[in-house]
Amino acid sequence: MPLNDADLVARVLVDDDHHAFAELVRNHQSAVRGLLRQLTRNDLALADDLAQETFLRVYKNLRTFRGEAKFSTWLYRIAYNCFREDARKRKELVGIDEAQLEAEHDPQTVDPALRHDLMQALQLLPLHERSAIVLCCQNGLSHQEAAGVLEIPLGTVKTNVLRGREKLKKILAAWAPA
Amino acid sequence: MDKQLQEDWLDARLREEMPYIDDEGFTARVVQKLPAARPRSFRAAILIGLTVVASVIAYLLSDGGRFLVVEAYRLMSMPLVFVSVIAIVLSVAITGIAAAAAFSTVRQRH
Repeated sequence: MPLNDADLVARVLVDDDHHAFAELVRNHQSAVRGLLRQLTRNDLALADDLAQETFLRVYKNLRTFRGEAKFSTWLYRIAYNCFREDARKRKELVGIDEAQLEAEHDPQTVDPALRHDLMQALQLLPLHERSAIVLCCQNGLSHQEAAGVLEIPLGTVKTNVLRGREKLKKILAAWAPA
Repeated sequence: MDKQLQEDWLDARLREEMPYIDDEGFTARVVQKLPAARPRSFRAAILIGLTVVASVIAYLLSDGGRFLVVEAYRLMSMPLVFVSVIAIVLSVAITGIAAAAAFSTVRQRH
């Protein structure tokens, strides 16, 4: 029977079991790397470096995980903090503004494939909206959980999701069902 | 256009656009960077070592364990009823401690 996150965490804490930690990484690597890919605007190498840093921090700070939130929520918060620290260093935390969004979106130059368009559209969103959309709409977190990960008020998360959705709908209007 | 339909469509596309990313050695690279694991027997070795050291200190401080002989003679000279009472009290105390520890473990697991 596969062990759940709580059992694996307990094994790491009690026995310093690297196999249990590897299982945790295997279970969550896709979601964490996916989240970081979106946040880094699909910079795969940077996203994987940050994901690696995330899991090393998780291992180092596992004793501080009290189990009040889901393990995945705690993990996303660490991933987001890793991204934020790196972005601060790179001074890339400033999102793309509305004018830039309009300027960058030219339907003539965008790949006709919907998938590509959606990825493009997501990358065009400002960071705060993109983070909220990726956590809530793609990773399935509740608004409350996303607020915990992003360390912002619940109302702000709701607003960011709403605004992000509106922009995506506008950009992808040609693909939407009539 | 129906707004709800459009939102449902967008949510479905967003969920689909979160494809599973193959591990491709990622987990191995993370595990490789972890600090070396403590050997499982490390804690047991520390406990046994401390017990041995404490025993040696107690032996030396007690004049070669002479107090054991003295106390054994004293115990043998006590009335049988008194010895029985001491034995029962000690048994009950040890059973109580063990039961409390067991209850505490069960409660933590639940």
